[in-house]
This record gives sequence, structure tokens and C-alpha cells, in this order.
Amino acid sequence: MESFMGALGLYGLGTLALVWPKRLELAAHYVSMGLAVIASLMVLSLSLLEIMGLGTGGMLQLGRYSLVVDGWAAAFLLIIGLSGTAVSIYGLGYGRGYLGARIRQLAGLWNLFLGSMVLVVLAGDAFTFILAWEVMALVSFLLVNHESEKKQVVGAAYQYMVMTHLGTAAILIAFYILGSGAESFAFVDLAHSELTPVMKHIAFGCAFAGFALKSGLMPLHVWLPNAHPAAPSHVSALMSGVMLKVAVYGFGRFVFEFIGADVFAYGLIVMVVGLVSAFLGVLYASMEKDMKRILAYSSVENMGIIFAAFGCGMLLVAMDKSYLSVVAFTAVLVHSVAHSLMKCLLFMSAGAVMHATGTRNVELLGGLLKKMPWTAAFTLIGSMSLASLPFTAGLVGEWLTLQGMMSLAFEAGRPELRLLVIFAFILLGLTGALALGCFVRLYGVAFLGRRRSNLVLKAHEMPFTMLCGMGLEAVAIIAMGIMPAPLVNAMRQILVDSPLAIPAGDFIGLWWNGGQSEAVFNPWLIMIAGLLLFALLALTLGSHKVIVHQDVTWNCGTEPTRRQQYTATGFSKPLRRAFDFILKPRRERVFLQRDHAYFGRKLHYNLMIPDQFTDRLYRPVEHIMVRLADTLRIVQQGSVRLYIGYTMIAMVIVLIWGGM
Amino acid sequence: MEYLVVLLLFVVFVQTRVMELRRSVAALMAQSVIVACACLLAGLNHGLMHALIPFALTLGVKVIFIPTAMLKLIKRITDEREIFSDINVNYSTMAAAAFLVFGYVLGNRFMLDPMQQDIFAATIMMIMTGLALMVMRKRAILQICGLITLENGIYLLGLIITEGLPLVVELGVFLDVLIAVVVLVILTNRMSLSFMTTDTTVMRKLKG
Repeated sequence: MESFMGALGLYGLGTLALVWPKRLELAAHYVSMGLAVIASLMVLSLSLLEIMGLGTGGMLQLGRYSLVVDGWAAAFLLIIGLSGTAVSIYGLGYGRGYLGARIRQLAGLWNLFLGSMVLVVLAGDAFTFILAWEVMALVSFLLVNHESEKKQVVGAAYQYMVMTHLGTAAILIAFYILGSGAESFAFVDLAHSELTPVMKHIAFGCAFAGFALKSGLMPLHVWLPNAHPAAPSHVSALMSGVMLKVAVYGFGRFVFEFIGADVFAYGLIVMVVGLVSAFLGVLYASMEKDMKRILAYSSVENMGIIFAAFGCGMLLVAMDKSYLSVVAFTAVLVHSVAHSLMKCLLFMSAGAVMHATGTRNVELLGGLLKKMPWTAAFTLIGSMSLASLPFTAGLVGEWLTLQGMMSLAFEAGRPELRLLVIFAFILLGLTGALALGCFVRLYGVAFLGRRRSNLVLKAHEMPFTMLCGMGLEAVAIIAMGIMPAPLVNAMRQILVDSPLAIPAGDFIGLWWNGGQSEAVFNPWLIMIAGLLLFALLALTLGSHKVIVHQDVTWNCGTEPTRRQQYTATGFSKPLRRAFDFILKPRRERVFLQRDHAYFGRKLHYNLMIPDQFTDRLYRPVEHIMVRLADTLRIVQQGSVRLYIGYTMIAMVIVLIWGGM
Repeated sequence: MEYLVVLLLFVVFVQTRVMELRRSVAALMAQSVIVACACLLAGLNHGLMHALIPFALTLGVKVIFIPTAMLKLIKRITDEREIFSDINVNYSTMAAAAFLVFGYVLGNRFMLDPMQQDIFAATIMMIMTGLALMVMRKRAILQICGLITLENGIYLLGLIITEGLPLVVELGVFLDVLIAVVVLVILTNRMSLSFMTTDTTVMRKLKG
């Protein structure tokens, strides 16, 4: 525990970059980011020790406030440490782009952000938790707002701030209800909170709403696709990769320790919300043209998968099958780690592309593979992982999620529940397929083909630190994809040991070798098969003398131009057609010139995919609020005399009331 | 004491009818003199010292300082010629009468002894009339008069009900009034400089 304090101290030192003198700002940046790297490495190694059971553990008590580290916390400290290290190394190079644009503030707040997240996870009482949570929210707001010269950045940042404070308010209410039941705010006491069922439902609802908002589940996700593109890339990597997981951590604490999952409806709600978020998230991701918005919606999708697995585990616990729920909860942890790795990697590569070309719009990219081979390779690994292809970390988590669903399906005694599981499989299957399409589209349009604009011409490979940050994540993804067993076992052990105290059961049998009813996933087996196939193909095809003849592509007798390539919008057209009852795209066609029915035409085509939740849910609520406020203004006329009149009326009423 | 109450009632009724700034300040001064005398009489039961200090304070602050400051202010204000209240003067007089009845009803309810009941009714009437003056008058000066009337009413009520407040409380009350009036006078002065009038309805322009 004391060593974690050391890491927090290093983050604190890094925060001091805020007060370095202006002429030393580059030095401040390097020192501060370097401290962040060292502190994150410390967090990483300490949490690894903790997970392996070699850590000192324990708690640190300061009066009524305490810091505690247990298994559940250690799993999330691992995420913070791992991604924190890689992204901080990347930030060493990437942050240089902000030289002269408040770089000291960026570096200092970066440390504070990481430190506050570590503190949230370590918090041992509600007060510390909320304090750290609020620091995290405010610092991330400031980081999102970093390029405050741009109007849309300010808009996105304020939207984020409003939303995140709504979430904090909900969590505060939940803590308040629990705390008044337990007459204490220490987590140890909150676990024994005596609540009436109604209060318990309210507490659960508030906690779920608060944490779902922070993790961007639909329909509370609206801040996410706006805030992530607005923030500097390494900040969006950290927000998407790590901050969203911190919300999962908090939700887990509530469910495992404070509220319990014994009510069937809780699990059902969490699972359905998760599934819907997963499906709609990836659907919207396939429609976007902005690289970072694609990634942001993909975060919604992956958080949806994590919460669907969580809900599945909660349902199994509610059905008294907790030895099976361990699969689902392991899926939560494993997919959290995996998503953190791959999302950080892809946000970093989006930052690299932006750095090189100055745009996030994939329609203006293309052919980047030749200009930035390393970045392209890392992005490919990240995209494969997000599309959950074999040999990558992304598959492991989704595999476990599906296994969890399968155990739910076998245990489902009632037809309604079976229907739900079928629905879940359909949605998860669609999600997987759409995610594959989405990342083929992202990678194909941005990195393959030929350039779509002249912006690509000035692209160049990134400096070493940035490549190093991306490379670390890519290596971790591959390692986890090929050898998932150590991590999965460690995560399972955490769940068995600490919060749930689940009877261990034959977990490995279920997951690894396949029981009677479960499928088998063994990366080595697939890899060997794949290598054999490759070798066979190489032998049979490679033995021939291949004649290479280079020529332009046959294009009905015309010279193919760059503009004839697939565009990102065109690529997702079939999806838009298939799901237009959900997406409701708005098309606008204006003819600028129309001399003839078939040629000589120029037209302006505008396609918009409005966010249905904004249109259907947030706008009406906003209207109602504004109208209510307008109604209240009748009382407030701005006349002093009227106000005195109110006092007078109040006084007469009080006097009469007193006289009665 | 009874005579003082009758006088006080008379002065308050006059106040509801006076529309000219100087005269209303004079009426306020007269009212404060009566309150000071009542204060002296009520205090004599508890010893001379306890009577003299509030008396002197009332005299100093409410009879001399505040009216002087307000008269000085009136000299500076340019548009003191004609004042119309958009609500008829008669209404405020009638309201004052209604408040007096209301005060007696309340006093009856609280079952005070007859002597106290008179003063209680008078103070309730002063408080409510003070508020009514503030609501019905547009001019800032007249509103200040209303405020002081209200203040006098509260002070007298406290004096009667508790049979003499502790000295510290009295000092605090006087300081409050003093500061309120100083601020109000300054504000009114600024207002007449910026808007060329002390009609508070123009303040509506400030509303966002």
C-alpha cells in the first residue's frame, strides 16, 4: 500500500509542471511525462504483484478516510498501469505538438488525471471515492477543453461536464442512501447496509445510471462521441481506454459489495442495456467518417459488451448459479483489459494520423500504408483486435462473454429467459459482424488504396517515442491473444478470492478444454493449423514461376482515377439501407449544374446521420426544461416592488397561520 | 402611553397620504420621535439607564441622522416636483386601516392584556403599512420611508413583547438600520444620476 503512495507521489510531482516557468516549458513537459511513465510503471508492477498474491495489500487509514487495495482494485490498477505507461510514452512525443499551446498545463493535468484514477480505484470510503472521482471528472474536462480556441471543442467539453456531473450526482445519491443505511461511509461498513427494498432499488438505479453515464452506455452516451474527438489524442486514448473502465470498477464495487446481485431484474436491466449499447454503438461507428468518432462509438460498443457480460453474471448469481457466473465476470475483467489495450492503441494511431496529415476525416486519407508503415502495422493489429479476430486480445474477452451467455442459456429454466439469451446471441453476433465491417472500413479507407486528397502527401512516419507507445500496446495485444491463459486465470483467481467468494468449480475445464457442452478455443491450435495451411499454400503456389505483369486495372476502357475508389460512406451504404429504420439518415441533393439527363451534371450531396437519442430524448427534455423555466419567469418580473409584495403576502400568511 | 399609540397611529395614517418627499421625511421623523418616547416610557419600568440608552440611540439614528441624510439626498434629486402613485393614495390608507383591524384580531387571538393589545395592533399595522408603502410607491425615497416604518414597527414590537431587549441586540438592530439606510441613500443617489429619476420601475430595464 505504501508503495502505491509512492506512485501517487510521483504523479503529484508530475503535476507540478503546472507551475514551472514558461521558458522551461519543454523541459517541464519531458520531466512531467517521464514521471508519469515511471509512476505508471510502478502502478503496473505493484498491481501485478498484487494479482499474483505477492503484494503487501492492506489498507492505509487516515482518520475516517482510508485507501484499500484488494483483488478487484488490483485488476483495474493493472489497466491503469499498462495503458498509462504506453500512452504516457506516446505522450512524450505527441505532446510536443502543443509546444507554445499550454504544454505545461497539458503535462501537469495528465499526471493529475492518472493520479486521480489510481486514487478512485484505491479509495476505501465513499468520501475519498467521490473526491477522487470528481477530480478525475474535472481534470478530464480541462483536458478535453485544452484546445479551447475551437468553438466545437468548448461545446463538447461543456456537454461532457454537464453530463458527467449528472452522473456524479446519481452516484452521490446512491452513496447517500447506502451510507444512511450503514451509518458510515467506509466501504467495509457500506457492505452491511440495511436497506428497505425500495431504497435498495433506488440506490441500484442511481448507481447504475451514474456509472453507465461515465462508461458511455446508451442512451447516456451522447457526450462520448463529442468529447473524444475534441480532446488531444493521447487524452482521448486515456479517457476511452482507462476512464471508462474506472466506471466499471465502481459499478462492480456497488454490485459485489454494497447492493448485491440477488434481484433478478438488476441483471436483466444491465444486460439489456449493455446489449443494446453494443449493437447500436457499432452501428453508429460504421456510419461515421471522423476517425475518432468511429473509435468513440466503438467504445460505446465495447462497454456495452462488458456490461452485457456483467449483467449475464448478475443473472447467474440471482439464479444461484454463482459458480457459473465466474465465467461472465472473468469476461468483464478480461475484456476490460483487452479493450483498454486496443482502444488506447487505436486512439494513439488516430493521433499519429492526425499529426501526420492534419485531418481526422477518413474520406481525405488513403494510401497511408506506404507513408507510415509502422503506424499502419500497429493500427492493423488494433483493428483486428477490435474486430475480435483470432490471435488478438479482443477475441478472448468476447469469447468469454459468449461462454457466459452460453452457461446462462443452459441454466435458463424459463422460456422468457431463453428468448432473452437468443436475443443476446443475435445482437452479439450482429455486433461482432458489424465491428469487423467497421474496422475493415476504417483501416481500408485510411491506410490502403490510393490517396484521396493531397493531405496524404505530407504524411511521414512518427518519432520513436510515439511508435514505442503504440508498439508496446500492439505487443501486449498479440501476447494476450496468443497466450490468454495466464491473464484469464489471474482474473478468475481475483474473482474467486475477493469480492464474490465464488466456489471455484472446474473453470478451466469449461473455458479451455471444453466441457460436454462448451466450445473450445485454443489459440495455439488455430495458429498451428493456420501456419500449416499457409505453408501448404506457399509450397504449392510458390513453386510456380510467377509472371508479374504490371498494368492499370481494367475499367471498361477508361483510365481509373483515385475518385473511383470505394469511399467510407459508400462502403457503409448497404448497412445504411438495411438499418435505415434505426438510423434514419437524412440525404440532401442539390444540383449545381444539370445540362443533360446523363452527363455534364454537378451536384452537391450531403448525408447526415442524426443521433436518434439526441433528437428523440435529449431535445424534448431540453424543450420541457426551457419551457418550465419560462413559466417560472412569470413570478420573477424584475420589479423590486413585486418582490416586496411577495414578502408581505408571506408575512400575512405566517401571521394568520400563527394566529390560528 | 395610550396617547403615544394614538399619535403614532395618526402619524402612520398621515404617512400613507403624504406624496411629497420632504413632508414624508418629516412625517417619518415625527414617527421616530414618538417611537423614541415610547421606548423611554417602556424602559423606565426597568431603570433609568436601560431607558436612556435606547432613547438616545433612537433619537440619534432615526430622528437626526437618517432624516438628515434623506433630506440632503432630496436636495440633489432633480425631479421631485410631481409624484403620482399608480395605485390610489386612498387604497394605501384603507389598507392601513385594514391592517389595524388585522392587528387587533391577532392581538385578541394571542390573548394579550388590553394595554399590550393596543401597542401590538399598532406595531402590526406599522409593519404591514411599511411593507405596503414599499410595494405601492414608486419613488425610492418613499420606499426608504416605508422601510424605516417597518423597522420602527419591528423594534417597537420587540420592545413591548420582550419588555426591553438586551443592549447588544439593540445596538445590532440600530447598526443594521444605519447601514441599510446608508446603502440605500447611496444607491438612490447613483440611480438618480444614471436614470435621471428615482422611479424604481425603470429598474425593470436591468432585467436580463
